[in-house]
Amino acid sequence: MTNKYSSSDIQDLWQSQPTELPRISLEELRGKTHKFERKIFWRNIREYAAGAFVVVCFGFYEWKFPALLLRIGSGLVIAGTIYVMFQLHRRASYHSAPADMGLSTGIEFYRQALERQRDALRGIWSWYLLPFVPGLAVFFTGTAVSQWTSHPLGMASLLKGYGIVVGLVAAVFYAVWKLNQRGADKLQAQIDEMNALCSHPESGEHVC
Amino acid sequence: MGSREDLYEETVSTHGPALDRLARAYEADPEMRRDLLQEIHLALWRSLDSFQSRCSLRTWIYRVAHNVAASHIITNRRQNAHYLISIDDVEVTDDRRGAADTADRHVALERLAALIRELKLLDRQVVLLYLEGVDATGIAEVTGISPGNVATKIHRLKNILSRRFQEGRQS
Repeated sequence: MTNKYSSSDIQDLWQSQPTELPRISLEELRGKTHKFERKIFWRNIREYAAGAFVVVCFGFYEWKFPALLLRIGSGLVIAGTIYVMFQLHRRASYHSAPADMGLSTGIEFYRQALERQRDALRGIWSWYLLPFVPGLAVFFTGTAVSQWTSHPLGMASLLKGYGIVVGLVAAVFYAVWKLNQRGADKLQAQIDEMNALCSHPESGEHVC
Repeated sequence: MGSREDLYEETVSTHGPALDRLARAYEADPEMRRDLLQEIHLALWRSLDSFQSRCSLRTWIYRVAHNVAASHIITNRRQNAHYLISIDDVEVTDDRRGAADTADRHVALERLAALIRELKLLDRQVVLLYLEGVDATGIAEVTGISPGNVATKIHRLKNILSRRFQEGRQS
C-alpha cells in the first residue's frame, strides 16, 4: 500500500536533507572578498583575450606594412577593437554583486539583467559592428591600392575579388546583426512574461 | 541593530542550511555549487552594511541569495536554454520515471532538485521559498511576484508535488 506525501511532508523532506555549513571564518571572509574581486578581474581579462589578439595582429601590420593606407586602416581597426572591448566591459562583463542587492526583489533584479542584455543586443550595430567598418574599409582599400600599383593591368579581376570579399564581410555583419535581433526578441518575450507576474492574475491590476 | 559581524553570524546560524540547499537546487555540479555558495556568503557579507533594517533580515538574506544565484545562471548563459520551463507547463505526473522509487528519501530529494532545476528562475525562487516554509506574503516580498500569482503558483506546485511523489511512502 502507498501513501501520498503531503505538502508538509515534502517541505520536511527538503529541510531535513543533510547540509554543510560553509567552514569560513569572518577573517577568511574579509580576505576572500579581496581575492574574489581579483578573480573577477582576471575572468574579465580572459574574456577580452580575443580583442587583445586582434590588437596584436593589426599592431604587427601597423609596424610591418609601409603603405600609408594599410597603416591607417590597421590603426582604425585597433581603435575600433579597443572601443568594442570597452563597451563589452561596460555592458556585459561580470561584476561583483552590488552591496545593496537585498533591496531588489527577484523580479527587479532579473528584469534589469535581461533589459541590459536586450539593449546590448538591440544596439549591436552601433557598438559592436560599426566601429570596425572604417578600419576594415580603409585596410581593404589599402590592400587593393597596393595590389593595383604592383599589377596595374588586372583592374577588373581586382575589383571582382574585392567585391566578393566586401560582400562576404557584409553578409557576416548582417548575420551577426540578425542573430542578435532575434536574441533581443527572445529576451523581450521573457521580460513581458515577467511583467505579467507583477499583475493580479484575475483583475490584471499592476502591483509591483 | 547589531554590527555586520553579528548580523552575519545570525545569518549563518539561522539560514546557513537553507542557503546550502538553495545552492544545491540551483547548481548540480558540486564544484560550481561550492563556488556559488561562497559567492552567496560573500555577497551577504558585503551587503549587510547596507541592510539597516530596511526589511526583515530573512527577506534580505533570501533576496541577496536568490539574486546571486540568478546572476550565476545568467553568467553561465543558461537563462536562454529552452529546457527551462514555467511551473504552469510542468507535467503533473512524470511518465519518464516510476513513482515507486521515491520511497528512497535520497532518490526523492534528487528528483525534487532535478524538478526545481528545470524551472525558470522566478518559478524556481517560488518553489524553493515554499519548500523552506516561507508563506505566500513572504515569497511575494522576496520575489516581487504579486501575492495572487504566488498563490496560483503554490496551488499548482502542491498539485505537482503530491502527484509526482504520491507513491513515495510505502506503509
